Amino acid sequence: MPPEVLRVLVLVPFPMSAEQLANRQDQRDEAHLPAGIELEYRTTKAAPSNYVSAMDYVIADVGLLEAGLDAEMDGYDAVCIDTVSDSGVAALRSILDIPVIAPGRTMFLTALMLGRRFGVLSMWERWFGLYERTLRDLGIEDRCAGIRSIDTQPDSRNLFSGKEDDILPGLHEAALRLVEDDGADVICLGSTTMHQAHGYLQERLPVPVLNPGPLSYLTAETTLALGLTQSRKAYPRPLVPKTEMIAEMLLAAARSELAEGRT
Amino acid sequence: MKRVAVVVPFALGEADLERRRAQTREVRLSTEIEYEFVPVKAGPSSFQSHHDWLLLDVAVLEAGIRAGESGYDAVVVDTASDSGVDALRSVLDIPVVGPGRASMLFALTLGKRFGVLAQWEPALARVDKSLTEWGLRSHCAAVEHFDTAPDFEKLIGDKAGEVIPKMEAACIRLIESGADVICLGSTTMHEAHRVLVERLPVPIVNPGPLSYKLVEILLAMGLSQSRRAFPEPLVPKPEMIHTMLESVAEDKTH
Repeated sequence: MPPEVLRVLVLVPFPMSAEQLANRQDQRDEAHLPAGIELEYRTTKAAPSNYVSAMDYVIADVGLLEAGLDAEMDGYDAVCIDTVSDSGVAALRSILDIPVIAPGRTMFLTALMLGRRFGVLSMWERWFGLYERTLRDLGIEDRCAGIRSIDTQPDSRNLFSGKEDDILPGLHEAALRLVEDDGADVICLGSTTMHQAHGYLQERLPVPVLNPGPLSYLTAETTLALGLTQSRKAYPRPLVPKTEMIAEMLLAAARSELAEGRT
Repeated sequence: MKRVAVVVPFALGEADLERRRAQTREVRLSTEIEYEFVPVKAGPSSFQSHHDWLLLDVAVLEAGIRAGESGYDAVVVDTASDSGVDALRSVLDIPVVGPGRASMLFALTLGKRFGVLAQWEPALARVDKSLTEWGLRSHCAAVEHFDTAPDFEKLIGDKAGEVIPKMEAACIRLIESGADVICLGSTTMHEAHRVLVERLPVPIVNPGPLSYKLVEILLAMGLSQSRRAFPEPLVPKPEMIHTMLESVAEDKTH
């Protein structure tokens, strides 16, 4: 049987202040986790400015891989990634034996347990490529009724803070279009940063709304309780893991960002 | 304390029900949820033809409606065929979970292509039907069986020494066909799960225990199936369903 207290490492895909991190940690309360599971949040050392291009995706993958490399050695029982892009998950799964939970994959597959065709509700059109990538990888493009956004550039660090009145009605309207016009019978939030909209939307929509961050925490607990982890056959190990190289690369990336006056 | 009804698809007596209930001890479950195993009133003798599947749909529907009327917070069906689940979802607002579809979709969170371990040749038709209905055929690497007649009452029981090597051989054939995760094709195989996990190099999804954990997730997040995906009938006929099953009820309590 698993140990009494399970420690789950949540990797946050941007460097940020403690106050900004608190916005991410609020997701913990939305999961209503059972006793005996602890979440600890760790940010990446460096990151793309946002996730809108192939270059950003590569930087995000490396940043998250580095942030989670030592998770097993540090005594964690599972890793969650705080981004629906599932960045870094495949590479981390090739290195770690503990479960690495991908919120995007998990959310889309869970949506198919509750309905027939889901819709993806996003903040920004420039994020659509991320969803399309995961849907293609899973081979379930035909189960996605549509993707809609409010075409607003999100703030990955401060989230909705102070802008709720501008954002929430627009998200509600876009979600309704997914249901009424596109035929979605489940709504998937297109970013873990949208968790602040979940309660508002669930109260107003006639279909289930999936909140990817909290769902990923509960899925981590379920995977551990069942004694499961990702398949080594699906995620083979490298011949030579280059953990030191990756760690060095990210330290260098953080120095470079500092020199450029960016975070 | 929340209460979950686990609908058992055969009209079993107490001793046989206990073998089903053992599944709840194979996984760490919330202490705030009680699982109660509720058998159907009557059903088919086998599970290998459209006749059998239809009878089971009706029987599970009846037992699940009873559970809804008795104030349970969720319903799980103790068969990986998910018999009766769609019909129950059309009339109940509480979550209704079928282990079959859930285990295949969950397998895809762990790997890329799953294999299904079926009981014997006559069980293949039902797995085939499920893969089509759930749109998961292209995600399934292979279906293999271990050529052993099912015993829905005694399960594997004292035949483990003879049966488990055959199950293991069938799992190896699944892996050779490209499966990177294996789904047990029946909740009745749960007694073999632990041994198979020790012997095989890929994750093995145990559908019954998974379905209980899934219920926990849905209850924790306040989620249920989509009413848009499972629309209500114009006129629900629960009395008709109850009367039909009561007229043929088998009494196995003695």
